[in-house]
Amino acid sequence: MNNEGKGAMPSTGMQPEVKSASMQKPQRFFGERPLPAIEMAPRVLRYQSRRDFLVFGAGALAALAGAGFLLPQNTLSRMGMPRNMDSPGKEWFLNKALRIDDDVAEALYSGTRRVPTHTKSQITPLKNNYNGATPDPGYISGWKLTLDGLASGLSISLDIRNLLTRFSVHEQITRLVCVEGWSAIACWAGLRLDDLLRAYPPVSEAKWARVESSVNLDASGNPDPYFMSLDLATARHPQTLLATHFNGQPLTVDHGAPLRLLVPVKLGLKNVKAITRITYVAEEPRDYWAERGYSRYDGI
Amino acid sequence: MSHSMPPDCESNSTSTLPEQPGVLVVRKHHFLVRWSHWLNVPILLGLILSGISIYWASPIYQHKPDPSTGNADVAADIGIWICAHVPGLHHYSSPPDWVYTHMSLGPGMLGLALRLHWLCAYLFMLNGAVYAAGLVRGGGWRSLLPRRTDLFDALRMFRYYLGFPFAKLARRKWLHPLFDTKYNALQRAAYFSVPVAGLLSVATGWAIHKPMQLHWLAAAFGGYNTARVWHFWLMWVYILFVVPHVILVFADGWDTLRSMIVGWSTRAERSEVVANEQ
Repeated sequence: MNNEGKGAMPSTGMQPEVKSASMQKPQRFFGERPLPAIEMAPRVLRYQSRRDFLVFGAGALAALAGAGFLLPQNTLSRMGMPRNMDSPGKEWFLNKALRIDDDVAEALYSGTRRVPTHTKSQITPLKNNYNGATPDPGYISGWKLTLDGLASGLSISLDIRNLLTRFSVHEQITRLVCVEGWSAIACWAGLRLDDLLRAYPPVSEAKWARVESSVNLDASGNPDPYFMSLDLATARHPQTLLATHFNGQPLTVDHGAPLRLLVPVKLGLKNVKAITRITYVAEEPRDYWAERGYSRYDGI
Repeated sequence: MSHSMPPDCESNSTSTLPEQPGVLVVRKHHFLVRWSHWLNVPILLGLILSGISIYWASPIYQHKPDPSTGNADVAADIGIWICAHVPGLHHYSSPPDWVYTHMSLGPGMLGLALRLHWLCAYLFMLNGAVYAAGLVRGGGWRSLLPRRTDLFDALRMFRYYLGFPFAKLARRKWLHPLFDTKYNALQRAAYFSVPVAGLLSVATGWAIHKPMQLHWLAAAFGGYNTARVWHFWLMWVYILFVVPHVILVFADGWDTLRSMIVGWSTRAERSEVVANEQ
């Protein structure tokens, strides 16, 4: 009885009332409007509810399956999933998402936009974040930078004196941002990679530089060469330096003596320490961290 | 029904009332709003779990390393405390990791966490756009806007919620304050703040993701390091919102939960009040 009164009576009385109210007063733009009420057969309401709940349940199951598909194996194992859920499809999908993010980063990059520079008073400590063990300084005395993939077809070797006497030195106080989340402001000085590119032009089809350090060590001190891809657009950025000095002093082993890449528009992991070779290539070269599940472009 | 009734009754009903008594319903939520609402559950869960894993790589809140454990991370301290004080966890293999293994994807998986975080972040932005489209198309955005009377009305609601358990215990009547709007002032404050927090999360996320190309955005939040702090605390807005949100939905009842899935609410009386007073 009560139900009937609620259901049937107001519906006949209300519909015209809503209309008249809206006709009498023009509603303010931000004002809340009454929710339009309609009369529905209970059967239809039940049917729609059942349908939507089934769709909703299917969606929840799909979300659960998606989570099982995408979560790292370590996490799944800890949650009691005994089976290895890693699959090529999962890698492909997650790498696709990473690629999209890299493409966005590349679209955001501008060769003329400079990163903010800071004052001496804003300088912060910079820890030695060598991926593995810090190399023994013995390599420094015989160090040379080798350039490959040049238009001349030659392989060029330069020592640190060559570099410092032939190119003008630029100084900048910029922030280095690590993929881990920490950052540090430091004063860097060195030559512009752009100047080196002009003095030793790469082959015409080159779009990438492979920057590597052969002196890198893994955590237990065994040789673990570090290699990294750098697009030439970023290499030509005016704030991309081959740094020789850190906070006014020649680089120490901790910071990649005698020459490191300083590319403030990229994450710290692209700022290769103790560079020994730069190779210009047409195809995107391999990248140490990209092979370990990180992104390739790393523009920030 | 019709065959059990005498013929004269049937003729009577056709002349005045429709044959089957209908249910009066109002459409509370546009279907885009409903879909994006539920999609937020897995997406936000993914963002928070991967986000805490990312946080592990370089925690914001650190102290001098503890001489006995070498730990400097405040979040890890909480894990150490839990393992020391919660029965059954005394022999947990790595107490500093307890928080991270239980509240995130896990420690030491930065690369994996970043990939999932970017994936969920793009989905979150897309989902936010779907939600905004649903609010515009369904006109629901008007119900979320703050009003001048909200502060007073929020206090009234607060008083109601605080007194409710005591009134229940004392078996006294405790009347819900009357509103002629879709949401009460506290709900409105919550449902308005969460999309704003979503926008701020996206903005601070971009600020710390691209602090060089978008350095103006990082500067708007006080620089790169401060933007990280913002991003971290914005996560807590969702966590602190979800707990009372879920409790109150269940307390409010079936109709409210159903309306976010099916869209209909049979509580049509309130809309009549709106219609009559305007």
